[in-house]
Amino acid sequence: MNKLFSVSDVNLSYGDKHVLKDINIDLYKNKVTAFIGPSGCGKSTFLRCFNRMNDLIDSCKIDGTILMENKDIYNKKYDVVDLRTNVGMVFQKPNPFMMSIYENVAYGLKCSGIKDKKVLKQRVINALKQAALYDEVSTRLNDSALSLSGGQQQRLCIARAIAMKPEVILMDEPTSALDPIATAKIEELIEELKKDFTIIIVTHSMHQASRISDYTAFFLNGEIVEYDITKNIFQNPKDIRCENYITGRFG
Amino acid sequence: MRKIKDYILNAITYIASGISVLILGVLLVYLLVNGVKSINLKMFSDDYWAKNYLVEVDSDSRNFDSKYNGDDYYIKKYDIAIKDDDKEIVVTYIGENSQFNELKSLTVGDSLGMITPFDVGYKIESIEYLDSNGVISIGGVLLKHNAIEVAQILNENHVNSIYYQSTSGGIKASIINTLILIFVSLLIATPISICSAIYLNEYNSKNKFNQLLSVSIETLAGVPSIIYGLVGITVLFPVTQLFGATTTSVLLGALTMAVILLPTMIKATQVALAQVDQGLKDASLSLGATKVQTINKVVLPGAMNGILSGLLLCVSKVIGESAALVYTMGTFISDTPSLTNQGTSLSLMIYSIMSNDNPNFELACAISLIILVIVLVLNISVKLINYKFNKLGQR
Amino acid sequence: MNNLKTTKLNKIIDKVVSNIYLLMTLISASFMLIIIIFILFKGLSPFMSNYQYGVVNFLDFLFGTQYRPDMGIYGVGFIIINTLVSALLALSIAFPISVLTALFVVKIAPQRLSEFMKVVIDLLASIPSIVYGVFAAGIITKFTMTIASMLGVQTYGGTSLLSVVILLAIMIFPTITSISISSISSVSEDLQHASLALGATKVQTNFKVVLLSAKQGIFAGAILGVGRAFGEATAVSMVAGNKMFGPTFGLFNTTRTLTSTMIAGLKETSGLDYDIRFSIGLVLLIIILITNFGLNFIKNKVGKTHEKN
Repeated sequence: MNKLFSVSDVNLSYGDKHVLKDINIDLYKNKVTAFIGPSGCGKSTFLRCFNRMNDLIDSCKIDGTILMENKDIYNKKYDVVDLRTNVGMVFQKPNPFMMSIYENVAYGLKCSGIKDKKVLKQRVINALKQAALYDEVSTRLNDSALSLSGGQQQRLCIARAIAMKPEVILMDEPTSALDPIATAKIEELIEELKKDFTIIIVTHSMHQASRISDYTAFFLNGEIVEYDITKNIFQNPKDIRCENYITGRFG
Repeated sequence: MRKIKDYILNAITYIASGISVLILGVLLVYLLVNGVKSINLKMFSDDYWAKNYLVEVDSDSRNFDSKYNGDDYYIKKYDIAIKDDDKEIVVTYIGENSQFNELKSLTVGDSLGMITPFDVGYKIESIEYLDSNGVISIGGVLLKHNAIEVAQILNENHVNSIYYQSTSGGIKASIINTLILIFVSLLIATPISICSAIYLNEYNSKNKFNQLLSVSIETLAGVPSIIYGLVGITVLFPVTQLFGATTTSVLLGALTMAVILLPTMIKATQVALAQVDQGLKDASLSLGATKVQTINKVVLPGAMNGILSGLLLCVSKVIGESAALVYTMGTFISDTPSLTNQGTSLSLMIYSIMSNDNPNFELACAISLIILVIVLVLNISVKLINYKFNKLGQR
Repeated sequence: MNNLKTTKLNKIIDKVVSNIYLLMTLISASFMLIIIIFILFKGLSPFMSNYQYGVVNFLDFLFGTQYRPDMGIYGVGFIIINTLVSALLALSIAFPISVLTALFVVKIAPQRLSEFMKVVIDLLASIPSIVYGVFAAGIITKFTMTIASMLGVQTYGGTSLLSVVILLAIMIFPTITSISISSISSVSEDLQHASLALGATKVQTNFKVVLLSAKQGIFAGAILGVGRAFGEATAVSMVAGNKMFGPTFGLFNTTRTLTSTMIAGLKETSGLDYDIRFSIGLVLLIIILITNFGLNFIKNKVGKTHEKN
């Protein structure tokens, strides 16, 4: 098992609010790691550290180290834009651009400078296939992305991220805005994707975490209370607070 | 490579914004440079057209305690001082007891023997006097005398009469006309607008008829103001005739202006009404008040600030309007402001000045500056009202 | 018992006042109808056979290339083309500058600079057209003359198509910019985050995603701007030159627009010369109507390709 991320003593605050406290965790390659916990406990905030999206918030201050394959991603030497081509993100609400399906998937590639039409087309089709969307849209790649259903749009967003061939895909509650059937499709997809990508997923649903993840971290009030392989967390939680959450004694 | 492209694109947006700042700057500088010289307090109380007066002068010497300290040519006999000003002879000082304060008109007609106004800044055109041989002679600008010579004549000879000209380029009448315009047009437009806005917002059952009304009023906003001018002169002119007008008039301009203001005022009022909390309306109705009572006691008071902003916006519009008023008020700059006669507002005055063969750019720029200051003050007031209201809402 | 009386009185007041509200609204809305009817009526009268000052041939009027009041020739065909040309040229200059400025104000400028720019745009928007006219007659004409002399071209004291275009561009800039600022401000943050998360830079996000999403609003602003360009009268009349024939395509030639024609020489005019201005007004209204419809049609078509489910 290879370590992809090594997080040491990370503390994060928004202005006066201390949101993440002394986070230490290692995340492994080609595995699905789930962050679970009650709302407002910092899991999404922590997720956004990995692609430095928190930088967009002025009042955000972060201490500690996050190493990606032994390189500190917060070191000024490393360009944040490059980081984001390597660490992809899928958001809670599907947010395709007001362009065609093709253009949406090709967007990141074009921005990073790829111009060859053949290369673009190949990568777009591959990404759509990997995201299990190609069959449904192969005949209408030039249609507007907004003409797709909610579930399809989310898979499009996944395809869009995958097209960049990142090492990691961060997913922030990717199915909470979708119906159960669409949710199931995406969960299937995640199973497939982990062969090629490392996936870190924030989820509200414990059942989802127990279904799809290899590792699970339980967050409470900005701290990681327990982190273990998923089977242990759900069958044999060591911390009483984790056990209470799992068994539903608090939400 | 991408970084260079990004940098260029960013730079382009800086440049684009810079262009607009540059244009504003050039405009303001131009107006200031050309107009500031002409701005003085007298402008606000003077007439536009210079008036000529012929007056008789008492040549007896009077003794004055001369309080004059200036550099201009002082005429002891009359306690006044004059100087050259670009081929004209301007009076720059008039003593308190000088007889120039009470000169009597020699012009045949109604004003014969009446005291004429004489003020600093007036220009002496010519003087009739008895020369050293007792012969009647004429002196002044016509004979190419300059101030020194005229001063000499006045000091040493017996002067019969003086022909002089008052200052010109004053905007007093135009200001008064503008105020009349604002007052009358708002008087008409405000009640109609508020009632219309109330109907559209509070009684809007979504039927085709109401939609038609709404669309009509919105379309009015897109009609260029010159069209309103055309309509005003055809449709509203008979209305002004009822009040005794026989030509284009300030009244006609005000009526036309009222129509132009309708879409603006209605929209502003609608926005203001919409911001009133639905909960307040519900509370009022649940206490047994009728709809009209609710509107008058709860909704309107709550919308006051928005209505006030709307009013200030309308005042701005009235001051700035030109095309429609050219048709309905005419471009004759009159010095006697009156509701049923022709006259000009400040904007129209500029247009009239500029459309002469020899436009007086300095005066036009000066009036433009005055208009800009007024409009600026109005805009700031609107912002202050909104700011204060938002603060209140947050408490 | 008292209560019943007051309630009845209140109900009556309620009915009366409600009807007053309705009446006022009818009055307001009726002006649209009045405008249409009277412009139509007076505008078409010179072409009717019983016109008192001598009938004008409608086709000659509509397609004519000469407008010489002194000779009784009234052709507005070339004036229509002039109006379209000047408005469209002005739009093509003002539009990119407006959109780029709006993007700058919302997304690129630091807070203070952004506030400052908003004040500048506000100021430009509140300057009355007559003041722009003075500015145009004073500075823009000199500018045109300088450029013309650098190119070795003659001008008539600076009054020219170029001056008109520059003037109109300056006047419609604040309109387009403020609407664009609104549209750009309301692009969802989500979309912008999605773009950034894909490794696009801020600049790329601004130009590729933000402008795209704000497209409809920006287009609406442009339509409003064009409308203003068509209707501007006093300022344009001061720098157009009022050429008697045309159409004018040369930047340094004098020109005339529908509005400048309507307002020129209003002091000493009567009879046909006066009435024909209504006909020109009618033409102006129709042009505005057609352009508005056309542009809105295009706007909706472009919008439809990206309609949400």
